[in-house]
Amino acid sequence: MDMETILIVEDEQQIREAVAMALQCEGFNVCEAGTASHAAVQAAARQPDLLILDLGLPDRDGVDFIRDYRAWSTTPILILSARSEESSKVDALDAGADDYLTKPFGIAELLARVRALLRRRQPDQQASLPTLLFGDYLIDCVNRVVTRAGVAIHLTQIEYRLLAFLAANPGRVLTHRHLLSQVWGGQAVENHQYLRVYVGHLRQKIEDNPAQPRHILTEIGVGYRFQP
Amino acid sequence: MRFLQQSSQAIGYFWGVLGTCLGSLLISPLRNLVDLSNVALLYVLAVVVMAVSFGRGPAVVTALLASLCYAYFFVPPHFSLAITEGQYLLAAIIMLVVALVVSHLTSRLKQHADFASRKSVESTKLYELTQELAGATSPDAVIELTTGFLAASFGACQVRVYFPGDFESASGPASPALLKQCIEQHELLSRPTSQGRFYALIPLAAASSSQGVLGFEVESSTLGSQDAVEHIETVASIVAVALERSYFAEKARQTEIKHAAEALRSSILSALSHDLRTPLTALVGMAETIAMGKVPADKQQQMLEAIRNQAVSISQQMTNLLEMAKLSAGKFKLNQAWQPVEEVIGATLQQVATQWKNRTVTVDLARDLPPINIDAVLIERVLWNLVENAIKYSPADTPVEMLVKRVDAEMEIAICDSGTGIASDNTETLFELFQRGKTESEIPGVGLGLSIAKTIVEAHGGTITARNRDGCGSCFRVRLPLGNPPCFEEMDGPA
Repeated sequence: MDMETILIVEDEQQIREAVAMALQCEGFNVCEAGTASHAAVQAAARQPDLLILDLGLPDRDGVDFIRDYRAWSTTPILILSARSEESSKVDALDAGADDYLTKPFGIAELLARVRALLRRRQPDQQASLPTLLFGDYLIDCVNRVVTRAGVAIHLTQIEYRLLAFLAANPGRVLTHRHLLSQVWGGQAVENHQYLRVYVGHLRQKIEDNPAQPRHILTEIGVGYRFQP
Repeated sequence: MRFLQQSSQAIGYFWGVLGTCLGSLLISPLRNLVDLSNVALLYVLAVVVMAVSFGRGPAVVTALLASLCYAYFFVPPHFSLAITEGQYLLAAIIMLVVALVVSHLTSRLKQHADFASRKSVESTKLYELTQELAGATSPDAVIELTTGFLAASFGACQVRVYFPGDFESASGPASPALLKQCIEQHELLSRPTSQGRFYALIPLAAASSSQGVLGFEVESSTLGSQDAVEHIETVASIVAVALERSYFAEKARQTEIKHAAEALRSSILSALSHDLRTPLTALVGMAETIAMGKVPADKQQQMLEAIRNQAVSISQQMTNLLEMAKLSAGKFKLNQAWQPVEEVIGATLQQVATQWKNRTVTVDLARDLPPINIDAVLIERVLWNLVENAIKYSPADTPVEMLVKRVDAEMEIAICDSGTGIASDNTETLFELFQRGKTESEIPGVGLGLSIAKTIVEAHGGTITARNRDGCGSCFRVRLPLGNPPCFEEMDGPA
């Protein structure tokens, strides 16, 4: 297997080196950049398979960088952000980033996210199949039926659309806006309450313990993440 | 006021002339029945009544007219002003003099009475001003009250207080030189402005020092009498005392804030020195031991694990410190939204599960809880802090319980443990900054978690309390107001 290349964009040298070392130990090719302008040059020259991006760069706003990068590349982006940057985190995800980690993060967590993002990038043999599987659930996208161990579960139209969209994007953070525009349509993107209420209904129907969900996880202040 | 006075004078002249003429015409047919001296007395009576009711001017006019009418209608020869007998002339002259003297005396009396009643109104107003100023705690409040008072009592506008520090930069109607002159001369100065009004400056002299100069614009007539100037001077001295008092009150408050900040700083220092330095010392020690390369592999793994845990715990305490700094600076904004409470609880437990893999947290959610209007990010901090506390202060093999139910118009989230509980005298101070269950405890932390929780819960209009459980351990109860959740139209059919 080819070694995948990961570009780390982070202005703090200590964090950059720690992340680079961990990734190299896992067998990835790593290149580094300390500024947004250097990162743009590196991204064009090395064509990385994944970008790890710190939002607080010295020369440019990370969110702007993502917008420009998304204009020509679909390479997955993993955001690193400080705790206080809740809103910029959401902006970055809305701008096209794929996932985020809050500092301080564990290396094990970082590696898991990196692997998940790279896996998603590979052409999926399953993609052409009209069924989605998670736990002991099966979503039949043709007949719009959800079954658990063969028993049908009654969902409303919106609940079905919500579940199908979540399940089609496993492991990925989906922001409130993103989910609302996908499930309800573009005009509903500010109605966060709608989304929360329907996620609550959906959890009641598919989770064994809605207060400690296994599949639909809340990313507080950001959105939801589906865990198969 | 002046206009009213003038119109009442005009009415006085009118009644004086009309009454005297009509009265004379009515009584004149009876001139043979009534003695002449009695008629003269009737005229004197009329003059006195006029003097009492309308003052000197109308009374004098009435007196003159009365003597003419007396001569014309009653003194023979009738219907002629000629007075043939000496005694009638004397009577007419005496009547005129008596009328003038009486009118003069009565009108003086009336002036005194008016003056006294005006004074009493002024003192009542001054008393009210003094009372209002007593409640003012800041110089701005004093100036605002003064402005209102001057506008209401004198029709003053452009009221301004020039503090001694602002003299040099004074502009507009008051020049620096004029202000200095005002302070030096200790008296009211005035100069005309464009619209025929006057700009008055009066020094504000208080017991300890001069508080500055009070400036305002009024009609020129307001400053006309000595009486009015004295009144304004009294107002100025009351304002000066109030300004001085508010200045000292402000100073006292600032000193108090400074003391509180000082106390906070010293507790931060002591918290940092013990609670952060201890784990840092351990970190350095362990890292150096491993670097020496003599630690067996399995032990090394253990120590690396410990280093990681220590670092994570320091990082969390840093987060708490920063969070508290943000919260106590008052710069945080609640980002409230209606949501099911399970959402926040789920996210908290998710976090707890990654940090403490072996601890169980049991959740007991009442059925059919309504959605609640909260800032999810901040409430998650509250729950996390409470659960973290419960885990840290209870034996590792005991569960932490979370109980959520509705109590009247509030939602109650209780987080209970089976630990050592709280020292009974501690339940109030527990939520203060840098308060810990035990000082110099071996359990890491800086004593911020609970005060962060309290600040956030109170910002939501809720309460947080701590109590020992009957058996063992403690319960922390967060209560949040439920409010009226919006209705969601369910425009949704079966899939």
